[in-house]
Amino acid sequence: MFETIFEIISLIGFIVFIILIAFFYEWIDRKFYARIQNRYGPLYTGPSGILQPIADFIKLLLKEDIIPEASEKRIFSLIPIIYVLLPILALLIIPINGKGIISFEGDLIFLMFLSAMITLSVFLAGWSSACNFSRIGGVRAALQMLSYEIPFGLSLIGPAIVANSLCITKISEWQIANSTAFIFLQPIGFAVIMISLLAELELIPFDVPEAETEIVAGWTTEYGGGRYALIRLGKDLELVMASMLISSLYLGGIGQIFFIPPIVIAIIKSIIVLLVMSLIRALFARYRIDQVISGMWKYLFPLMILQIIIVQFIG
Amino acid sequence: MEDLIKKIEPFGVLEFKRPKERRIFIRIKSEFLRDLISFLIGEYDLRHLSTITGIDLGEEIELLYHFSYKHSIEITIGIKIPKSSLKVPTITDLIPGAIFYEKEVHDMLGVVFEGHPDLSPLILPENWPEGVHPLRKDYSIEKLKELIKK
Amino acid sequence: MRYGTTIKVPFGPQHPALKEPECFLFEVEGDFVVNVKPRIGYIHRGIEKAFENNTYMHDLYLAERICGICSHAHTVAFTQTVEGLVSLEIPQRAQYIRLIMAELERLHSHSLWVGIAAHEAGFDTMFMYLWRDREMIMDLMEEISGNRVLHAINTIGGVRRDINDEQANKIRKYLDKFEENIKNYIKVLETENTFLKRTVGVGILKPSDAIALCAVGPTLRASGIKNDVRKDDPYLLYDEIPFEVITHDGCDVFARTIVRCEEMLESIKIIRYALDHMPKGELKVKAPRTFPPNESIGRVEAPRGELIHYTKSNGTSKPERYKVRSPTLGNLASVCKTLIGAHIADIPMILAGIDPCFSCMDRILIKKRS
Repeated sequence: MFETIFEIISLIGFIVFIILIAFFYEWIDRKFYARIQNRYGPLYTGPSGILQPIADFIKLLLKEDIIPEASEKRIFSLIPIIYVLLPILALLIIPINGKGIISFEGDLIFLMFLSAMITLSVFLAGWSSACNFSRIGGVRAALQMLSYEIPFGLSLIGPAIVANSLCITKISEWQIANSTAFIFLQPIGFAVIMISLLAELELIPFDVPEAETEIVAGWTTEYGGGRYALIRLGKDLELVMASMLISSLYLGGIGQIFFIPPIVIAIIKSIIVLLVMSLIRALFARYRIDQVISGMWKYLFPLMILQIIIVQFIG
Repeated sequence: MEDLIKKIEPFGVLEFKRPKERRIFIRIKSEFLRDLISFLIGEYDLRHLSTITGIDLGEEIELLYHFSYKHSIEITIGIKIPKSSLKVPTITDLIPGAIFYEKEVHDMLGVVFEGHPDLSPLILPENWPEGVHPLRKDYSIEKLKELIKK
Repeated sequence: MRYGTTIKVPFGPQHPALKEPECFLFEVEGDFVVNVKPRIGYIHRGIEKAFENNTYMHDLYLAERICGICSHAHTVAFTQTVEGLVSLEIPQRAQYIRLIMAELERLHSHSLWVGIAAHEAGFDTMFMYLWRDREMIMDLMEEISGNRVLHAINTIGGVRRDINDEQANKIRKYLDKFEENIKNYIKVLETENTFLKRTVGVGILKPSDAIALCAVGPTLRASGIKNDVRKDDPYLLYDEIPFEVITHDGCDVFARTIVRCEEMLESIKIIRYALDHMPKGELKVKAPRTFPPNESIGRVEAPRGELIHYTKSNGTSKPERYKVRSPTLGNLASVCKTLIGAHIADIPMILAGIDPCFSCMDRILIKKRS
């Protein structure tokens, strides 16, 4: 009984921690992005504006809440919650503290399912909004998923084959045990997972589903107030999920080094991934949807197949 | 230049003046408009229409077609049409770029360009009262303000 | 990809790709545009009508307020037109000052546009850098005229403010830095793969179409046609200053970007030449208050292209008719043509490609006063 309560409290604590980390990452992303562009970025709320994402979140919560008359109301209001829950669920699997909170053989497959679900919820959000821009955004998100999903899945499989496990925690532990990192063993796989996660997160150059200048805010056009706050939080959580996933799968895993606890290692490694993503975001222009799809299938997919073949027969 | 004056003689020229080195004003009878323009296109490759100005002269409306010859010499062709029958043949088939200029004049002064593909309002709002043309002299600003209040 | 049915997608009156309220109704089939219908007039301010009800001196300030970006070009055209009514010659120094301001304005307008184009392509970093550099030009204009946007430096018969040596040196210093940065940006834009993918081959306007649809300015020059009012129909002292008319035969959005970038470099050269050759002398001559019945046309190469003003005077202090045709209206027909067959994703790029300035285009709306 007592243990169960303790577990629940620690779980809630973990989720709160994850959400705080998400806000912190948003701040890092915004600040870094702004500095590259010779701007200041968030400045006033807290030291160097570190509390700005939280302030934005609260401000959005206080805004008027509007559901469009023509929308599919139930789906429309359910999507933001799903959109936040899915990355949190994924983060429970990823071994942030050296070991995933729910870790089981085959959770890698479950993670792929979750990432597909995120895109599906985006598509549903776009579809249920009953707005042309949202609809186009949703369709674009789905189309984009068709292009990056398979290379993404294959890039998860690469390390799994070598580590001989479908469990993220075990892959991470394998790297620590062999004191190596998959970024050196499978560099192509690392590149592919970076690119496909950029597409998953809808970051430039793959932010087609919410290309501001083309389709207003894409699938989020009709969302406002608290729902939009949740969607933004969901995006931040996705950012954490993606950077943690890459650091546990490709950057040498997450574990204790000397006296530094794994959680610190996880944060340091994932911040490096985050900065690389911000850098890419700042340095490129947006691709067009057809260019994304053809590029993914023409280059990413064959490259990833090549990587798998190398892993299977040579490595 | 003398050459030009002689060549356009048969097109009912009423006035020809050249106030500055690169400005030419030609005023002709309205029925010769299309003939003159197609002649000038053929002879001088006069294909850049800068704009069309409409002026309310009271009983008549004057239309000025501002062309530029080789983008250098501004040739203005003027015609006058009586307000009783505000109809002019379109020149969009000769110069496709005239489409929005003709629409604008139609909105503002109510000149009907016969043969124009689409004379729906371009500038005026959809609920604008029919037959009110803001650039006519008989609509003062005060009058238009009152109209808008309604 | 053909789906058989079309959907109507409105662009505007409010849309992030259009910085001003204007409506374009697109008929879209799948991902391609099959038809487009522009509806302008959302910011029609009644300026042409207002011109007729004010004196020439007032109209000067009205002309300045036609557009927020090319305000100086409009007053240059206005003064040229009105001075043309009585063949007034203005002093050389005044002409040089007008010219320097006009070129500074071209710099600021073009850097603004290239920034916007980069932003439309999702290349926000370039946008930020260009707009940062644009601030330098804005500072210079403020230094000279006292205002950032509405410079109010022209008057009928001359200019109202002088440029002293100190200011001239500051302009030279800033321009050196600006030039260096622009050269850098051209290099980036020409090599950045994602930007090229979004602009090369997008929004093709064939030279024959460009001529037929009476396109003007950088849009026409990007289709490989050498046309510049400054060269073809010189006003102010442009015939004394050596400069190149930039053309590009790409006919696409990329060509329009490069034409504008390189025009900035030419403008910098023009300003330097003008600063070096500016004679000392009077700033203005006395201009009449009333003008005899006459008519006059003013043509100016505004940053966006050929700008035409026409006026007809009737012997009083107010014009009988004043007509303004801004370059955006001239380019509207050609942009509608290039939009047909484009991807939805390319619409903003193409629309932005003509550097639309809808305030200029509309001009007339009868404002409700509360």
